[in-house]
This record gives sequence, C-alpha cells and structure tokens, in this order.
Amino acid sequence: MLDIYVCVGSSCHLKGSYQIISCFQRLIKENRLEDKAILKASFCMGKCTNGVCVRVGDVFYGDVAIVNAESFFNEQVIKQIEAEG
Amino acid sequence: MSLYIDVNYESLNKYREELCGDKVEIIRSSDSVVVVLADGLGSGVKANILATLTSKIIGTIMSNGLDIEEAVNTIASTLPVCKEREVAYSTFSIIQIFNNGEGYLVEFDNPAIIRLRKGKLQEFKTESREISGKLINEARFTVSPDDLFIMISDGVIHAGIGQTLNLGWQWENVSDYVQKTYKKDMSSKAVAKLLLSACDSLYANEPGDDTTVVALKAKKPIKLNLMIGPPVDMGNDGDIVAKFMNREGKKVVCGGTTSQIVARLTGKEIKTSIEYFNPSVPPTAEIDGINLTTEGVLTLRRTLELLKTCVSPDSTMSDFLMLNKKDGASKLAKMLLEESTSIYFFIGQAINPAHQNPEFPLNMGLKFKLVEEIAGLLSQAGKHITIEYC
Repeated sequence: MLDIYVCVGSSCHLKGSYQIISCFQRLIKENRLEDKAILKASFCMGKCTNGVCVRVGDVFYGDVAIVNAESFFNEQVIKQIEAEG
Repeated sequence: MSLYIDVNYESLNKYREELCGDKVEIIRSSDSVVVVLADGLGSGVKANILATLTSKIIGTIMSNGLDIEEAVNTIASTLPVCKEREVAYSTFSIIQIFNNGEGYLVEFDNPAIIRLRKGKLQEFKTESREISGKLINEARFTVSPDDLFIMISDGVIHAGIGQTLNLGWQWENVSDYVQKTYKKDMSSKAVAKLLLSACDSLYANEPGDDTTVVALKAKKPIKLNLMIGPPVDMGNDGDIVAKFMNREGKKVVCGGTTSQIVARLTGKEIKTSIEYFNPSVPPTAEIDGINLTTEGVLTLRRTLELLKTCVSPDSTMSDFLMLNKKDGASKLAKMLLEESTSIYFFIGQAINPAHQNPEFPLNMGLKFKLVEEIAGLLSQAGKHITIEYC
C-alpha cells in the first residue's frame, strides 16, 4: 500500500490543496488504485515551498500545483505504484 | 455553587418608528448580573429617552450594591416630565442574579417575569410595597442550573390586539407558548428570537407597540481552553502543553504546527482528515484527548466572520443554524459561542516561517489581531475571557 500525503496547512491550502485532493481522489478511482494507494491529509510539513507539499511513500515533492496535478499523478505516483508492485 | 447567566434580548420597534421605546441594560459585575428592562411612556424619541434614563440609572445603582429604594427615588426625581401627559413615567422590571445562585426581582407595571424550571412554569410569589408613591412588586428566590427567565414588555402581551386577536396575546398564552417551545439546550438568544418572531407574526409585521423579550438562562459554568500557535521559546513547549492539558474543561488546538507539538508531547497520534466540508476552510484533525483540532489562521478568520454575524444585533436564526456545519470554523464558533462560558486562550507567539513567504498573503500580526478580535466579541457576548501569551 502506497501512502500519499497532501499538505492542508495554511500556506498549501491557499495554493490549492482542495483541488489537488479532489484531483487525486478522481484519478485513484479512474485508475482503480483503491487497493494500491491511500490518500491522506497532513498539517504543515514544515517545508513550505512554491507549490503544495506532497509526500508519496518516502519521497517528498514541493512543486505540485493545480495545473500539473494530473501529470504529476500520472508520472510520479503511478511509477511508484508500479515499482512497488 | 457557581452559576453563569446567559442573557440576550431582542426588540421590535413600533411600526414606522425609528427608535425603540423599550430599553434593556445588562450589567455584569464580578459577583452578579443585573438586567433592567424599561418601557418608556409613549413611543419614539420621547419613550426612548425615558427608557434609556431609567434603565441606565437603575442598572448603575443596583450593580453598585445600592438598594431599590435609592434607584426608584433617583428616577422619580430625575425623569423629565411629559408636557402632554404631565407625568414622568417609565415602567420597568429588574432581575439580579448572583453567581452564588441568589436571585432578586423588582417589577413596576411591566408584565410579570416568566420563570421556567425544567421547562415548567413556576410563578413568583411577589410582595408589594410603595416607594416614592410607586407600587412595586419584589421577590427573592434561589436559582438552579437550567432555570429560564423571560422578561417581556407590554408589546408582547398586546401582540395582535384588535387585529388577529381580540384581546391580544395574554400573559397565560405567552407562558403556554414558551413552555410548549422549550427545549433544554436552547440558548437565551434562540428563546428571545423565537418568542419575538411569534409576536411579529401576530402583529402581521406591523407592531402596534414597542415589543421586547429578554431571556436569561442559568447554566453551570462550562470551561474551554484554546491553544493557538507555538510558544515563542521552544524550550517552554513541554511546560505550556502540560499546563494546557492539566486545565479543567474542553480543549481546542488551532494551528498545524501547534497541533503537531501537542500530539508529540502528549505521545498521541495526529490524524488529519481529508474531508473538506467547505472548500475555503482547511480540514480538521483528531488528537486523542483534544476535543477539536483545526488549522490556524484561515480557520480563525472564518470563525471571526461567523461570530461577528451571530453577535450582531441583526443576526437571525439562520445565522445560528450556520454554526451546525461540520467545517472547523463552524465547529469552533459553536463551541465558543454556545457551548462554553469561560474561555482560556494560550496564545503562542512564535513566528511561523510559512507566513514569512512573500507569496503568503496573511502576516503573523494578523493572526494575533484575529484572536484578539474573537476574544473581544466573546467578552461582549458575556463570556469570561482570559488570555495568556506564551
């Protein structure tokens, strides 16, 4: 099972955590990954950057935004799921 | 026994009048709360002046521990005399409730105060006496938690007179209505609004007289503690969290970093919810032993907006129903406004690096200002507020 954490702290919230969570929820469903990945929220990860903070497994990403959320999921998340399993 | 008295009032102005001839004065001191409802002779400006003078004079005198004779004498010799009617006149009712549960009431020509104990009508046994030519009724009584007192001006018992009801809405009808609509957890604001809206309907939205309802509800004090922001000196985290956790009452933590500190020091896990009940308010989290855990500045900003709406004199029932929503800000506002009487704020003054980012539109100073504004509104609503900066 792969844990995906999306930061919902104040700073990330303003950069679109809500839209990114909805987008990831939709993609997990569309790709039928419910039993391979689990989406979780997190308060401030202490690494506020230019984008919304996301942690996939043990890897941290600081540049996810509304515009690249879908491509990020398709590239990074799906790659890691495949690598795991 | 220690009691907290939740007081709220609502007024309707006589149709086409800009000023209300009824006036309510609520004076809280360290040992009691005094509530005066005065109804000035006539309506409009003249009535408003008479009622304002009467309620202010009585309120000030009584809350300073002087007795009713002093107050009535002062009014009798102070009120301006009406030219047309050649009398100086304002009816009034006074209720004073001490924190230790003693109660005292005085009525002069106003409809009798309604008392509900556990939802059932319990009329006062009053004694009459004359002060400065005015016949007043007095009673001393004991207050228990959950007692509800409703003071009304004659506009209430005249509601609909000669229109929808031949004789108006008589005292017995009003007290029946209050008993029928009584619910144990109704706030004083809700009681006052509900009764007043019934009067407005009976008047077909054109009140024939100034109409006022004051509701007082006795409660056992309920304590709430809030921790907002990490302490300025990290070395104090342990002491402050321990102090916070050891306080009696409910506990709320606001702020992402603050909740992580509390979770770490209490050895509990923090579970952040993914559910957005309102896209503009970040989700809440759960920590074992903490009643509510929320994000910081954005949630507080929304909480302040909600409190402002509800505390405003123009608030409606639907504003209060908004507090039943499930997002962090609505939950916090409800706990502050409706579910607690004494609130203790721990305000941590550490600077959040996330807020120093030039792209972050809110600055730290704003967060303190938000909390101070929230505390001010709550204190205006009659809550006991204590703030500790750490």
